[in-house]
Amino acid sequence: MLRFTVRRLLLLVPILLGLSILVFLWVRALPGSPAESLLGERADEQSIAQIREQLGLDDPLYVQYWRYLETLAEGNLGTSIATRRPVTTEIRERFPATVELTVAAGIFAILLGIPLGFFAAKRHGGIFDNSSLVLSLIGVSIPIFFLGIILKWIFAVRLGWLPSIGRQDVFIEAEHPTGFYVLDGVLTGNWRAAWDALEHLVLPAIALGSIPLALISRITRASVLDVQNEDYVRTARAKGLPSRVVDSRHVFRNAMLPVSTVIGLQVGLLLSGAILTETVFAFPGIGTWLQEAIQNRDYPVLQGGILFVAVIVVVVNLLVDLSYGLLNPRIRLAGR
Amino acid sequence: MSVAEVEVREVQLEAVGGGLWREALHRLVRNPGAIVGALIVATFVFVAVFAPLLAPYDPREQNLALVAEGCCPGPSRAYPLGVDDLGRDELSRIIYGARFSLLIGIVSVTVGLTFGLLLGSIAGYFRRLDSPIMRVMDIMLAIPGFLMAIGIAALLGPGLLSVMIAIGVVNVPIFTRLMRGSILGQRENDYVLAARAVGVPGRKILASHILPNAVSPVIVAGTLALATAIIDAAGLGFLGLGPQDPATPEWGTMLTDTVRYLQTAPFLAIFPGVAIVIVVMGFNLIGDGLREALDPKLRGRA
Amino acid sequence: MHKLLRAGVAFAALPLLVAAVASGSAGRAAQASDTLVFGASADPVVLDPALISDGESFRVNNQIYETLVAQKPGTTQLVPGLAVSWSKSAGGKTWTFNLRRGVRFHDGTPFNAAAVCANFDRWYNFKGAQASSSASYYYNVVFGGFKNPGKGLPGRAKALYRDCKARGQYTAVIRLKRVFGPFLGAMTLGPFAIASPTALKQYGADKGRLTADGVYQPLGKFGTPDGFAVGTGPFKFESWRVGDRLTLVRNDDYWGEKAFLRRVIFRPIADNAARLQALQTGEIDGYDDVEPQDIATIKRSKDLKVLDRPPFNVGYVTINQAVAPFDNLLVRKAVAHGLNRPGVVKSFYAGRGVVAHEFMPPSVPGYSKSVPKYPYNPARAKALLRQAGLTLPVEVEFWWPTDVARPYMPNPKNNFQAFAASLNKSGFKVVAKSAPWRPDYLGRADQGTAGALNLLGWTGDYADPESFLGGILRAAKQFGLENNPIGTKLYRDLDRALAEADQSKRNAMYRRINNYIMQQVIGVPYVHTMPALAFRKNVVGYKPSPTLNDVFRIVKKVG
Repeated sequence: MLRFTVRRLLLLVPILLGLSILVFLWVRALPGSPAESLLGERADEQSIAQIREQLGLDDPLYVQYWRYLETLAEGNLGTSIATRRPVTTEIRERFPATVELTVAAGIFAILLGIPLGFFAAKRHGGIFDNSSLVLSLIGVSIPIFFLGIILKWIFAVRLGWLPSIGRQDVFIEAEHPTGFYVLDGVLTGNWRAAWDALEHLVLPAIALGSIPLALISRITRASVLDVQNEDYVRTARAKGLPSRVVDSRHVFRNAMLPVSTVIGLQVGLLLSGAILTETVFAFPGIGTWLQEAIQNRDYPVLQGGILFVAVIVVVVNLLVDLSYGLLNPRIRLAGR
Repeated sequence: MSVAEVEVREVQLEAVGGGLWREALHRLVRNPGAIVGALIVATFVFVAVFAPLLAPYDPREQNLALVAEGCCPGPSRAYPLGVDDLGRDELSRIIYGARFSLLIGIVSVTVGLTFGLLLGSIAGYFRRLDSPIMRVMDIMLAIPGFLMAIGIAALLGPGLLSVMIAIGVVNVPIFTRLMRGSILGQRENDYVLAARAVGVPGRKILASHILPNAVSPVIVAGTLALATAIIDAAGLGFLGLGPQDPATPEWGTMLTDTVRYLQTAPFLAIFPGVAIVIVVMGFNLIGDGLREALDPKLRGRA
Repeated sequence: MHKLLRAGVAFAALPLLVAAVASGSAGRAAQASDTLVFGASADPVVLDPALISDGESFRVNNQIYETLVAQKPGTTQLVPGLAVSWSKSAGGKTWTFNLRRGVRFHDGTPFNAAAVCANFDRWYNFKGAQASSSASYYYNVVFGGFKNPGKGLPGRAKALYRDCKARGQYTAVIRLKRVFGPFLGAMTLGPFAIASPTALKQYGADKGRLTADGVYQPLGKFGTPDGFAVGTGPFKFESWRVGDRLTLVRNDDYWGEKAFLRRVIFRPIADNAARLQALQTGEIDGYDDVEPQDIATIKRSKDLKVLDRPPFNVGYVTINQAVAPFDNLLVRKAVAHGLNRPGVVKSFYAGRGVVAHEFMPPSVPGYSKSVPKYPYNPARAKALLRQAGLTLPVEVEFWWPTDVARPYMPNPKNNFQAFAASLNKSGFKVVAKSAPWRPDYLGRADQGTAGALNLLGWTGDYADPESFLGGILRAAKQFGLENNPIGTKLYRDLDRALAEADQSKRNAMYRRINNYIMQQVIGVPYVHTMPALAFRKNVVGYKPSPTLNDVFRIVKKVG
């Protein structure tokens, strides 16, 4: 196990380095120079040249990259052109929103998907099974932003059941010690705030979680179907153990292994889906932030933000891998 | 992207040989989902190819008089699906939109497949190149697919070509990994060792044993990647990175333009959205069907 | 495994439960009648009036800060602001302002002549990044130059401002270097509002640096989300969470009639459709720049209403004469005949636009009724092109901006497509190009590197022809007027009109200038619009200003 862990951790370094190079080159190669976007609409030849000199944009690439690494090392991800604040500040303010949304979407997908898939497998071939297949098929086939728009239209505008935008009602006075609004509400005993934050999460979480939901339910179903036919299950049943016991002790536990892999892989999907979902719901997270940066050609934000997201995905995937290794003895021992 | 990756991980092939294809086809034909999917895809391709003959109007022809009273007149006898905010026939635009979706799907997946298969085969067969290639692929895979597509499209400047290249590039590491994994799996197989022991030259082993078996998961992945390509293209279009000529009848960009009319003319958003969902479903159904058909674990069962 | 299944179903049903509990509430938020929530399209850039030039920044800053001269709400009429009266010297170069007494800034600092001069001097002393147009755009446009700004920036030679002297506590004397007709009108502009000199100094308003990215980063706290935006206005700054909300509270020590509302909250919602939906669900009380297709929906709703902003803008297509063959007048005339202006105005403005024939709306003095008009006529356009000796179709690069909605151009994409189609019918072959509004599109258009034709527009800042003609046409590179006899004549005429003291003579001069502009087809104006705002019916008293100078002081909520 230790060797496995160490090996994966060592792999982390070249990946992170590679990511930084990729992002660095990417920003430099974007059409329209940083100088022009900095000077805004009054960019003229002279000012552009002045800025280029100031930023050292004419130095050789590897010098610029080294400088970039140096600033990264001091934890400086740059300064946003649009808001003139450090990128790190913006991330600190916006990331909890996205985390809360992705967690909510994940919980939605898991808590609905696993039972759906399980139930479908148990009633293999029946109406429930077939409709769950159709539903999960639609789930992966519908563009997230389209789903979000439709949900918003039906539940917020037409029915007025849920809010259409933002994280919290304007009139709720609440403290936010952690930045996770639902948690904050609970921690400060402000139940109204917690409830309100939850209401604001429902629609975006459903939209964002639609694909993971479909995938998880399908994998669960397939996995359970597989395991059901395994010898040890048949033996257990033949032994006369009640269905419930067989299910919980053998089927479920073993079926969950591939499912947990899938769940772990959803992080990247969720984070990139966040860009599309947050925009539709004006949810003040990393997604809207990056989308505005793309439109405004806010280079420092793009550079810092994308690097940040990529690093998070890498780290989370690593953690998932490690925990999967912990859970599945076969992987753990295969390293030998 | 992880859809393809994940789904295909379930497939483990054992060596069979030529009978694989016949058996798979046999199973495919009996799968109702796959039939439906095939029908959808066939219709889609048909519409795309014969668009000029099927569309009642020129999709780019404007008719400002129709929208002088505001947007937009809904379905009528003259315009079965209504007209858009510039007075263009929606039905014709949906029909021609099939062309763009098909084009984007095929080109991007082809790009991904070609480079992926190439790199994957090299990595799988030549030990020395395996590590460097796979490290680069790992880095690329570290960035969430859609995010990378955004990055590439932004880099190349928005446009149809950029979208195709972006999605294609995002697919490369997936196919590389797949191909390489498959080949590695095959190499150690008994029949390969046997063939080698008998003295069959490496090239022939590769061609007639390893490749056919390794390619099956790639075919499945390719079909599913087509589905994802169409969705991601819509997403890129939604973010403004798609075809820049606003008259282009591409479903994804048609979707962006019409969000603002959701309250007055919802059909403008619903038709392209539903078209995307149906076509993507079609490809997913075929992909699923292929996967089940090629899955050896199901072999031997009814 | 039924236990888990049951738990799963129950948990999944939770949101539905929530929905059921909250159902039936058309006005979701508990609408306190002393608070107004306004849906802005973006956060303000900074709460330092001298450094802003965009509409959202104005919207907020204009509630916190005040100018010497004000506009009567909903009009362009000049009324006393922080100055109760003013007079001009005989030579026209010295302005004396008699200031209001008993006014204090939000931090308690007394408002007086010294404070006024401190502000004027501060602007004149801007250096480096602060002096560039990207920071202090309006100071550059109106005053032209700074004392010692640094390399590449306009200096003393170009400056209009000479100095400001405080005569006693309540008289400020401002000396200019030359006669500037619209000076009073210009003084109503938001960037010339007076901020507390104590706060400016205490919170380092001029402390800033260029970061490694070259971004001008304020190092002080003045006007940042941390707070410290200190003016004299009817509202004070309370808090600002970027991307979420900005809260102002009533200034109970205000010198004039206090605001009805206790709080005004600005929520940035980038997407227009989302703004409409938020209004319908009651999450916001109002928003600006209603898109034409939503007007009918809002009017039909029993909870909402549409407010009209008096027309004071112009949408136009620029022609860059530096790009061949547009240096040829015949070709420019062909463009004018080839743009389907009536079609566009009728179809995309929900009946709220009129076709424009010159670069200023009829309400501005100096409007000419005798400009040459160019009706939509594809055949005529083709004939003109042939007369110019060109082979059809003539290729033309036509740029339009993405991701933006302006009051004169709610949907640039539609305008562009319709214009492109009509040009293509008129002997041209349009090459479509686009770029995001900020910074690319505006930057390129300004530099004249955006092809031959651009879609642009302008909302006037004050009721003077210079605000339109000067603001629009002095961007010489945009129209290819540099090193161009047409440009030389135009600017000479504009400068003369600017320096003319007699009002009726000025108006006549501007009428002649408008005729000249349209004879030469320097550009093709196509629309004046009446922009719309939407509010919930219980919001009363909001008077939209033609120059986007809306005041929230007079607004209240009933019921």
